[in-house]
Amino acid sequence: MNEFKISFRVSGKVHVMDLKGYLDAHTAPNLEEAFQKLIKDQKFNILVNCKDLAYISSAGLGVFMAFIEDVRTGGGDIKMSNMSPKVYNIFDLLGFPMLYEIFTDEHEAVKKFDAKKQSSK
Amino acid sequence: MKIRKLLTLFGSILLFGAVFIIDAAMKSLDADLGNFTAVRGALVILAFILGTLYIETLRKENQLTMIQRIGRIAAWAGVFVALSIIASLLRFNEFETRAFRLFPRDYITILFSTVLSIAAGIVSAMTMLIIKDMLLYKRKKGTQRNFWILLVFFLLASVTTVNLRPLEISVYTTVFFVLAVVMIIINSFRLSWIAYLSRREKIYAMVYALLAFFAFMAINILLSISDKPFLAKALLYFSYPLHTFVQLTSLFGAVYFGMAFISTLFHLPTAEAFDRKQTELNSLHNLSRLITQVFDLNELADTVTKMTFEVCEAQSSWLEVFPTESERKSPHSDNGIVSAKNITAEEIQTILFGDTTSIRSLVFSSKKVLLIDDVSSDRRTKYMTKLKNVGSLLVVPLVSHQNLIGILYATKQMDFGFDQDDIEVLSGFADQVTIAIENATLIQKSLEKERLQRELLLAQEMQKRLLPQTLPTFPNVEMQAVSAPALEVGGDYYDIAILDDHRVGIVIGDVSGKGVGAAFYMAEVKGIFQSLSKIYSSPKTFLINANQSLISSIDKRSFISLIYAVLDVSTGELILSRAGHCPMLYATSSSIEYITPTGMGLGLSAGKLFEDSLEEKKIMMKTGDVCVFYTDGVTESRSASGEEFGYERLMSVVEEKRSCSAEEIKEEIIQRVWSYTDAQGYDDDLTVFVVRWNGAPR
Repeated sequence: MNEFKISFRVSGKVHVMDLKGYLDAHTAPNLEEAFQKLIKDQKFNILVNCKDLAYISSAGLGVFMAFIEDVRTGGGDIKMSNMSPKVYNIFDLLGFPMLYEIFTDEHEAVKKFDAKKQSSK
Repeated sequence: MKIRKLLTLFGSILLFGAVFIIDAAMKSLDADLGNFTAVRGALVILAFILGTLYIETLRKENQLTMIQRIGRIAAWAGVFVALSIIASLLRFNEFETRAFRLFPRDYITILFSTVLSIAAGIVSAMTMLIIKDMLLYKRKKGTQRNFWILLVFFLLASVTTVNLRPLEISVYTTVFFVLAVVMIIINSFRLSWIAYLSRREKIYAMVYALLAFFAFMAINILLSISDKPFLAKALLYFSYPLHTFVQLTSLFGAVYFGMAFISTLFHLPTAEAFDRKQTELNSLHNLSRLITQVFDLNELADTVTKMTFEVCEAQSSWLEVFPTESERKSPHSDNGIVSAKNITAEEIQTILFGDTTSIRSLVFSSKKVLLIDDVSSDRRTKYMTKLKNVGSLLVVPLVSHQNLIGILYATKQMDFGFDQDDIEVLSGFADQVTIAIENATLIQKSLEKERLQRELLLAQEMQKRLLPQTLPTFPNVEMQAVSAPALEVGGDYYDIAILDDHRVGIVIGDVSGKGVGAAFYMAEVKGIFQSLSKIYSSPKTFLINANQSLISSIDKRSFISLIYAVLDVSTGELILSRAGHCPMLYATSSSIEYITPTGMGLGLSAGKLFEDSLEEKKIMMKTGDVCVFYTDGVTESRSASGEEFGYERLMSVVEEKRSCSAEEIKEEIIQRVWSYTDAQGYDDDLTVFVVRWNGAPR
């Protein structure tokens, strides 16, 4: 079966998830679990690095939709970065860039998080 | 068979009658048969042989148990003894003795001795037949041979007396008599039937054997004592061989049943253990049979607790079953009692959850048999001392593939109620129960699966009907569509609606996810499309309103991608809006491109954000132009190596075939996707909708 892996990192005050492989209906529950864990721990600044994400299906996209409300209510955000053109196309076709901030580079995203922190202080 | 029966019966009666007449005639002539004594003797023997054959045919018709056999012999022998004693007590004129011979003094003596002799013969024959059956029960190699040798000596001893006068004795007879007695002793050790009697049966066997022993001893004494009583004289007068035969038979009866009595007496202490083994064997046998027959878990559980009762004579017994994974994990989860005998739910509750380290949790962690010999003093069971009627407790886990799938409990009122035997038997029993439960659970599961399968088929049938059965036809527009779900039910949707006399609405969409959930949303979209398309003729307005309708009912992780296009069949004008769906492929004679108006999927966001994202595009189709709508099942179909079919391939297929009919284009796309994915089949729902404009009508 197609492999899918999630690894966690912390970059400053941002929690980074690195996705790798195929995110489809079979593997979506793994991502769901990952989000649940972060939210439970009150970690709301979430950056999803999609550098090694080969494919995302509608079920995978649905996971982001499931948690965005909770994360934003908690004062954080879900941002994405480093998408391959193909994966970006999938996000784009569905109109996700209008709902999420998507960055080409992880640093920009982290900076954006930090900037928001500053302004809110 | 019937004729043989009648022949033997009447033959023997006739012969006995003839002998009686001869005797009576001799008496009236006051004469002696002299040299014809042997002929009369032969007649008597023949009569008895026929009589024995008759009895043999009767016997085969009713198969008796051992106890019934002994009882019957005891009764026959007893009645015969009573008869003989009564005859002796009558003290009529009997016989006078002359030259070793007996002469009856009157006719009544002849009658009495004849009747008594026939009775003696019948009892002897019956005795021999029944003892033969008992000897041959569980026969060994020599068993049958020994019996035949015995019988031969019996007959030899009898036959050698044919020529003797009633009060004579010959050496041959004595020799054969002694040999016969030796064989009696040898044969009397064949008592194997005793071992297979239950305790109750053994007691009956003892009583009957003792009665039979006394009866036969009495006959023996009556026949042997020197001051011959009437019975002895009657038999000697009637037939010396018969006298000998009856004497030997009664001796055999006395010795055999005497031995049987003593042997049974010694078997009695082990009878209980034997009984228990028998019960265990029966229970296990019954259970094995049940495994293949009972698929209902509750019914099975009831049988199991009932059998636990029987197997170890428990005071109470109950069974817990944990059919699912989650229930297996925790010792503190609710009990899974499926059957309980002789114990209340409260009592069970106390035993199972009365303490945090209850015996239940001990078995959960060890998965081993747990025996509490004395509940009131054992440290592990202190918490259940208030239960007065639980003295000892045996807990047997049902373990299958290292999983605890259930627990079987048995209690006894007395302390130290369970012995090593009980533990072993109940453990073996538990293994069988485990298999039975596994079996029942599996069958339950497969039934459940079958039910779901049926419902899915129904859902599939329903969903097929949500898609248009036929597309409307127009003289100048070709329309072709196909949809194939990956699973039984899918999330792809296409539809068409006639808006007015010159416009049709075309919709194609994809509900996120697959399966039954997606199918429900698809049904909802169909309802929305069929109603809203008639009201809002602008694709953008349609999508805004559709989003509003959907957003309230849709799960937040689900969304629907959709393209809505309105085609004017009189002019070829096509207006479309896209809500997150794959772009439409548009091919003219000179160009081919994806038309991608912006727009996010339905159900993602409400209100302004969604509204602002939408664009509307207008295309004026020229003769021969082709529009291809499709779902991501086409572009995301993967080859064996994992590569997607992709937008380029789709484009080149349509470019190649753009001058063909809509049907050919549709077929070509499907064929190419199929051959691309090869044997893997679809891994997503796949839908293609092709529109070809053949110029404005003239």
